[in-house]
Amino acid sequence: MTQFGTFVHTARRSLQEADRRYSLRQVAKRIGVEPGYLSKIERGQVAPPSEAATVRLAKELDQDPDVLLALGGKVSSDLQEVIRKRPRLFAQLIRELRDAPDQAVLRLVREVRDGDW
Amino acid sequence: MITLEHDRLVFRFPEVHKDARCGIEFQRTLRIPDDGLDYPLPPGMGRFPLRHLDDYARRVPEEWLRRGGVLMPMHQAEAMWINFDCRGYPFAVKIATGKTCALTGEGWMNHLNTEPQDYAVLPEQPWLDGYCVAKGIVRQFVAMPLGQGYTVEEQLTGEAEHGGLQVIAYPMKAERYEEMISSESAGAPLPEAEAYSVVKSAPMGLAPGGRMRQEIYEDEYGLDAWDQRHASRCFVTIANSVQWMTLTGERPPTEAPTARAYASAGLPWFDYFGGDLTALAETEKLRGIASVADKGAGNGESPLPENESASVERVIPLRRRGSNQVREMSAEAASTP
Repeated sequence: MTQFGTFVHTARRSLQEADRRYSLRQVAKRIGVEPGYLSKIERGQVAPPSEAATVRLAKELDQDPDVLLALGGKVSSDLQEVIRKRPRLFAQLIRELRDAPDQAVLRLVREVRDGDW
Repeated sequence: MITLEHDRLVFRFPEVHKDARCGIEFQRTLRIPDDGLDYPLPPGMGRFPLRHLDDYARRVPEEWLRRGGVLMPMHQAEAMWINFDCRGYPFAVKIATGKTCALTGEGWMNHLNTEPQDYAVLPEQPWLDGYCVAKGIVRQFVAMPLGQGYTVEEQLTGEAEHGGLQVIAYPMKAERYEEMISSESAGAPLPEAEAYSVVKSAPMGLAPGGRMRQEIYEDEYGLDAWDQRHASRCFVTIANSVQWMTLTGERPPTEAPTARAYASAGLPWFDYFGGDLTALAETEKLRGIASVADKGAGNGESPLPENESASVERVIPLRRRGSNQVREMSAEAASTP
């Protein structure tokens, strides 16, 4: 199994325990792939699917699309576009943050501002 | 801290505990009939979009900007439910509309109260669909323009001042959490998810719609479990569809099908069983609020279009379990007209 396949299998089986609609067959149908293909994905016998199918799968399994894309060795198109617009700046930023702890990275994330109410 | 991720408010308290994280999102749904009958839980039809209000600073009224927070679109008479995405670390969460508590009807307070309990406990409470008007019964959150007297804020305070929705989250104290997980045999966790036109009209508020079966659970941890020194809060300003398009340039999501059309298509509704958890009773304040349909009838108005009763035949029972409950309309159902 690949990390991607294991993650998908574990997440789907967890949902299936409470809801039969998360069978391999039904999930495959809802994300628009063949059940056999999804089975191979979960067992790591084929490469992770396309970006669009991975995002559909993430939404179906209530997972973060960026996390699932990363497990599949991909970066979402919108993030690529962000980097392409200012490649030097973002490349430098990402490299500098490579080993920073989560808390330090989170300080750079834009927060929802709380005001006066 | 609160961040906005994929139209979800994510609350994190790394200063309290590395696991102290929960997500709150607002689900589009059909409006259940406001006909005095008790309905099961309607489906989720995807998240409402959320945007930083600051991004439209030059186009929104000063009082909107002062509140900060996020902007969300809702059509008039559209319904909504709140999905709590909490994967283990307990939280106490207060929800208010127009700065009036959805569980008690009391005015906004920045601290937790137990007499009566004015907060929901996560992860035990997976969703909140409306105002607690009787034990095991809520009246659905329905968007109505502020200033017409329908919102709970206006019914209980006589003022149309705030509108919108307010949320504040408190994490469990780290030491209580550590005690709790050390006494549990935890299963293997999943990998961690990581020259302008200015809007001048009034924003939307939330009003009580039809009745549905939903229990709000009593706090089994006790008030002392919550770390009230650390809290994050957010004001959600609700824009009507015209305001949303003016501000963002985006179309709001399409309106949900009617309850009757949805039920006629044989699509599923949901019931949730919280096991041995105790349900909270309603407060006198919220017991006395009038639904949108009742208030409209009193005023000689018909504020809810297509409010016909629905015959619900397919109800999926969902039971309490450890992780996030899924209560969404499936893809094939979504494509059904």
